[in-house]
Amino acid sequence: MEEFHNGSEVSPDTNSPFSPVTCIENVVGGGDYSQSQVNKWTANIVERCLTQLVKQGKPYKYIVTCAVMQKTGAGLHTANSCYWDTAMDGSCTVRWENRTMYCVVSVFAVATA
Amino acid sequence: MNDFQNSIPSAACLVVKLLVSPHGICPGILFSMIMSFSSISTVSYIDELGHHDDNARLAPTMENTYQMGPYKRFPANAATDILKDVLTSYLQEEKYEVEWSQKMTKTLCEVIRARVKELMIPRYKIVILVHIGQLTGQCMQISSRCLWDTSNDTFASHFFKNSSLFGVASVYAVYFE
Repeated sequence: MEEFHNGSEVSPDTNSPFSPVTCIENVVGGGDYSQSQVNKWTANIVERCLTQLVKQGKPYKYIVTCAVMQKTGAGLHTANSCYWDTAMDGSCTVRWENRTMYCVVSVFAVATA
Repeated sequence: MNDFQNSIPSAACLVVKLLVSPHGICPGILFSMIMSFSSISTVSYIDELGHHDDNARLAPTMENTYQMGPYKRFPANAATDILKDVLTSYLQEEKYEVEWSQKMTKTLCEVIRARVKELMIPRYKIVILVHIGQLTGQCMQISSRCLWDTSNDTFASHFFKNSSLFGVASVYAVYFE
């Protein structure tokens, strides 16, 4: 983490680490799946994740994806494949569920310079 | 340890540090599971320690290229055509099955990555995301947002559907300065 102290313009917020699960729970909370709300939910989850990531102040570009699906017993498979520098770039996938829906959030971080 | 993964919650990082030594026991998928009253969540990372150690020691210092931007931009249209072509050819006549879908998502990812690499666009990093799901009348919403340089970076996506399954593929291309 030494790079934090090398004069970056935005001082990074190391006290609150990135937590996708809190983002999801703050938006969806204890609610049930709702067709009218889901658009707003996905947009909010993705936006909160991105804001938290920006606060880290690291020299990365981010791609955040969120998929929300109603629980009907149907199957869903997700896979990703990346062509990047394995030493500097990384990803994180969170799978969250409650009684009525599944939520899968993927975050990809790609280093710049 | 990968730089990005160090910023993930410290509790999860502790788990990672305990399980994996610098010489690498079992690089693979590590996960932590948190259960609360009404919801369950799983977080997973891919860790490839071996490569990272080698790179850290042998990383060459690069000379400045004085290149201000990409000479060749990533063609989103060509990428959409690739996605359309791959999804249609692999999924057209198929019926949803659990085992088959698991393998097919990974196969599609590999195939799309190989086809996009063939476009030979230098200095672009590629991320490909594929979802395959069963059609049972359920509702689903997929959205994504990116923090990047809009003049250089772009994405392409395509949605395919037949009578028993649906497939969504997305390609994100990020310029490496």
